[in-house]
Parts: sequence; structure tokens; C-alpha cells
Amino acid sequence: MNDRSASDVLVSARGLEVHFPVGGRGLRGRGGGVLRAVDGVDLDILRGETLGLVGESGCGKSTLGNALLRLVPPTGGTVTFDGADVTSLDRRGLKEMRRRAGMVFQDPFASLDPRRTVAQTVSEPLEVHGLRSGKRERAARVGELLELVGLDPAVAGRYPHEFSGGQRQRVGIARALAGEPDFLVCDEAIASLDVSVQAQVLNLLRRLQRQLGLTLLFISHDLSAVRHISDRIAVMYLGRVVEIGPAAAVGRDPQMPYTQALLSAVPVPHPAQERARKRIVLTGDVPSPSAVPSGCRFRTRCPYVFEPCDDVDPALHAAGAPGQLAACHLHGVVGTPVTRTPEGVTADP
Amino acid sequence: MSGDPVLEVEDLRVRLRTPRGPAEVVNGLSYTVGAGETVAVVGESGSGKSVSVLALLGLLPARVATVTGRALLQGEDLLTMPPERLRQVRGPGAGMVFQDPMTSLNPVLTIGRQLVEGIRAHGDVSKSAARTRAAELLREVGLPDPEKALDRYPHELSGGMRQRVVIAIALSNSPSLLIADEATTALDVTVQAQIIDLVEKLQAEHGTGVIWITHDLGVVAGIADRVLVMYGGRCVEDGTVDDVLERPAHPYTRGLLGSLPDLAAPAGPDGEVPELTTVPGLPPPPTDLPPGCVFWPRCPVRADPRCETEQPPLAVVSRAAAGATASGALEEGSRLPHRAATWCTEGGQG
Repeated sequence: MNDRSASDVLVSARGLEVHFPVGGRGLRGRGGGVLRAVDGVDLDILRGETLGLVGESGCGKSTLGNALLRLVPPTGGTVTFDGADVTSLDRRGLKEMRRRAGMVFQDPFASLDPRRTVAQTVSEPLEVHGLRSGKRERAARVGELLELVGLDPAVAGRYPHEFSGGQRQRVGIARALAGEPDFLVCDEAIASLDVSVQAQVLNLLRRLQRQLGLTLLFISHDLSAVRHISDRIAVMYLGRVVEIGPAAAVGRDPQMPYTQALLSAVPVPHPAQERARKRIVLTGDVPSPSAVPSGCRFRTRCPYVFEPCDDVDPALHAAGAPGQLAACHLHGVVGTPVTRTPEGVTADP
Repeated sequence: MSGDPVLEVEDLRVRLRTPRGPAEVVNGLSYTVGAGETVAVVGESGSGKSVSVLALLGLLPARVATVTGRALLQGEDLLTMPPERLRQVRGPGAGMVFQDPMTSLNPVLTIGRQLVEGIRAHGDVSKSAARTRAAELLREVGLPDPEKALDRYPHELSGGMRQRVVIAIALSNSPSLLIADEATTALDVTVQAQIIDLVEKLQAEHGTGVIWITHDLGVVAGIADRVLVMYGGRCVEDGTVDDVLERPAHPYTRGLLGSLPDLAAPAGPDGEVPELTTVPGLPPPPTDLPPGCVFWPRCPVRADPRCETEQPPLAVVSRAAAGATASGALEEGSRLPHRAATWCTEGGQG
């Protein structure tokens, strides 16, 4: 992770934390606990790559995506976007960053304003950022954008309810592209679409990424889709990135037991393979992010748990293929020892 | 694998009254489910897969839905049954598990109360006996600490645990048929694997026939004995899971399989995973079905002039047409037929 020059990295997180207060009394939530949605994430997203971010519901993958764009304020750590510290941007800096970093949301039914036409929705970023002056220029640009995402420019005057889910998602993508961004976060962008439409949108995203040189963060729970579209894959568990590496390596030879279990649970459409398959069925539920286990956070469900897992919080370190990192003591005990105090267990600062 | 049929559906048709005119949502569906057998019904949204089972159990509002055909559950026709008898049949005859475990449980009643209600509705059981039975059921579906769980409310459980409760309720009267409608779609893959294991185990123990409705062909590959592919309210292909998924004959099934990203896909020579093949366009609205093959408007093949004008019947696919190899020809006699409704293979023409 350290051998890359700074100019290769577009978005970078160091020790990123997003903690929410929960369960307290009164408006300020005094006396409650802390939900560690994102809990110490180190992540570099390289210029022009598609990074897939996978994990089960509640692992913090959406919160991480939001925190990278400062849609939720981080409670600790840093995020840099093209070298600039995102958490300390002033209004103007933030506005420019909003132009350069876009988002495609999960639900194309909820993310488009039902009372605005497609043209109004797509041209709004053009007005906000002053990218095209004059109505005619903006209309022409909207037409270009719609064509880019595979829609007929003639639909610009229509309303969202006149479109199918896949078409709406294309409108959402066109809007996200209106500011000519460098970075696009796609948060479960295909989850609510039918299988054949998912394939259309996956192909579109991949084509746009090539054509426009975009950097993509593709957040999804669907490992097959992530494997298909990504150059690298990061796996999250309970607020932490626990494995990251080239998509082929993580897909074929995962090094972290959690990734192994996750991959083994993905059903493939080949009956003979399914019958022969040995699933690693994890017992129990994911622990609550407001009560993260000490040491390795996966130890309560890990089939290989051994002595250091209780005591040392594993750090990401090289395992498997070149460029592949895993936070697991099976590949050498590397990490922060846990201190035990009479009040409870905490990690060393 | 399959014993006596638990369910025989014959020429099931469902027509709904909509503001845009009559919608033919299910058009002549026929299939059987044997004891201990799992039949997967696959298709995209709007293909009629859910409506077809809702119609079986009389769960469609009579005001807007017209259901015709026959559906024999252990010899008794569900479609002509008086409502009173249908209510009796639902629990012990057919249990149903819906997609969203949060909305299929009542949020203001404890889990114990909901289970006990189901048990007592179909048998003369005392409250305490029903409660004991409820705890047993929860243990059977793998809920930790079942006695305590009886007094908890749905919101106190995780999604996977809630779905286990729903399965426990569906199984509380030992039904001969279990219908799972997208039962694992809202769950994470690791939890989905647990639920599938659970259903398979319970099915093996009780010999339950299962109808598993899903859009996920990966899940189908793992659990189904037989597959029925629906499109535009019709069955366009059916057969054993190996036939349909490994030797698909209908252009729609082929398109559907081609549009799935493959986790194990080998990278091409340039180190890239090849682009997915897609099915362009959208399914036809049920208010305006094409006169010929339902898939014609989106079909990349269209090999026959009849495609546009004449509905292809569901006909046995010849093995050569489906691309079978010689090694697949063993145990010919015992095989279930592999059928497809298309003019585009020899099977369709023969």
C-alpha cells in the first residue's frame, strides 16, 4: 500500500471512523452506547480503477461510501480526495468536490424527484456548478448525457414514473455524470433491478468507466457482480476492511476466513458444481456494531480461531497474491495488542 | 426423488382487472410437485410467478382476479373449494413463506403468540401444549434459546432469525406442501445458505413438497429437482435442473443465464472478464401480450416465421437441439421430459 506514489491515488482514507451515538436518553443521547459503523478503515482508491466493496448488510459499506464523499461526517481519521483533506474543506472547496465526486443510489424509484422531468433532474448539476450557460447549451448537454447512458434524448421531457427501473437507473447515472466527475460511488446501484437489466447496467457502468476514465467505487452485496466489474475487491466486516486485493486473486484464492465463507455461500447457476460444493456455513449472527468483539472482530464466528485472535487486533498485511492484503493472524500475527483494564477491553491507541 | 404428486396444477389461468384493461398474468400453467420434491419457479418481476401461487391458495382478491383451471392438492381442487374448507387446508396442506420476514410477522405480537395461534387454529390443542410445540418448532429451525424467544417481538430478532420464525410458522401444521416466495432474497448470502440448508433438512425429514419461487438461478441450481421458467405469464421452459440450466433450449432462458456474472469466470487473454450478454428491452406488459411467441419482441433468434404470429406449444426438446452430448444419454427412460415453448429448436417444430 505504501509503494504507490501519491499521484496514483485519487481517494484515500486513513484510520477512518464513523461512530454514531445510540440508545441514550434525551436529545443528546447521553449515557448511550456507540455504534461503530466504520471503525478504522485504511483504503486507497487508485485513479482509473474500479474498486468493488462487498460485505453483508450492516457491515458499514454504505456508510464508508458516504463518509468518503463527506455525506456523513467522519468522527475520526482522515479522507483525502486528490490530495486535499475532505474533512476540512470550506464551502467552495466542498462544492467543487461535490462536482468531481458523484453518487449513484440504490433505489431509482426513491432517488429521482417524481415531480421533475428527466431534463430538469439531469441539468440541475449543470446549473449549480455553472457548467453550461444558457438554456439551449444545457438542453444540448442533457441530450448528450442521455445518449451516453443509452437513453433516447427525446425522453428528456418525461417524468420518472414513465420509466422502468433500469431506465430510471440510467437517468440517475446521467445525473451523476453531469458534473463531469472523476469519481463515482455506486451504492447497490443494481440491487433493485431484474437480472437481465442488471447485466445492462453493469455493462453500461463498465463502458462509461473506460470511456470517461472514471474511478469507481462499486458497493454491493452481490459478489458475482463485484467480481465481474472490479479491478480490485475490498471486503468489509463490522466496520473494517478485512481483505483487499486484485479481483481475480480475492475471487479465486481468498486469504481471510470471512471472505472464504462469503464466497463459498454464493450460489452459482451450475447444478453439478452446487451439488459438489462444500459450503462453509458460518454459525451465529454478525455481532452488533455497538458491541464489537475485542481483538479480531471475526473471532466469534471464525472456524480457525486460535490464541492470538482474542488479544491482538489484526492489521491488513500481505497474504496470498501480490497486492493482496488480509487482516488475519493465520498469515502472521500483525496488529495492535489489546489492553485489558478493569473497566473492560480497549485497543491500544 | 418424487413420490405421489402432492400438487397437480392444470391449465392455471389468472386474469386481473386493471385500469388499463384485462391483464393476462398467468396463461395456462401446468405442473406437478411430488412428495419430497423441489420445483423452482423462476422468472423476472412481472412474469407471473408469485401471482400463480397466490391464486392457488385463494389469496388474490376475488373482485379483480379471475382464476380458472385445476389445482389438486392431494386430490382436492383448491380452486373450487368453499372458503371455509380452504382455510382448513391452508395450514396443514400448504404453508407459505414470503419474501420479507418483517412484514409477514405481526410486529405487536410476540413470536410465541403468533406460533400458538397457527397451531391452535388447526388442532384442538391446549394453550400450554401449543406453547411446548412452538418451542420445539423454534428449536427445529435453529433458533437459539427457543423458550426465551417465544416471548420476544419480531423487531428483537435479526432478518435471518425472523425468516426462521416464519418458516417455523409455515411448518407448524406439518404441511405436505411448502411454498417459498423469494424467501431468501432479502437475506445476506451467508444467512441464505443457512436457510436453504434448513429447508432441505426439514424437507428430507418430513417429505414435504416444495415450490421455490425465485429470480436467483444460483439458488435454483442448489436446491431444485425441477425448474419451470416463466415469462409473460407462460411457462417457456421446464425440465430437470440439469437440463434447464446446463442445456437451456429457449432463447429467453439462454439470455437469462448469459446475463449472469459468473463468480468463477476465467479472464480473457487481455486479463478482462468478457462483457455480459444482455437481453435487450423489457418484458411485455400483461395487458398487451404479443400474438405469437411471448419472447418474440426481445428475441435475438427469431428463426421461424411462426414466431411472430403463432404461439409455440410447450414441446419436448430433442437432445441434439439442446446441445446435449452423447454421455448425457444414460437412464433415458427415467428422465423427466425437458420441454420448451419455442419455434426456434427442433423440439418446437417436432
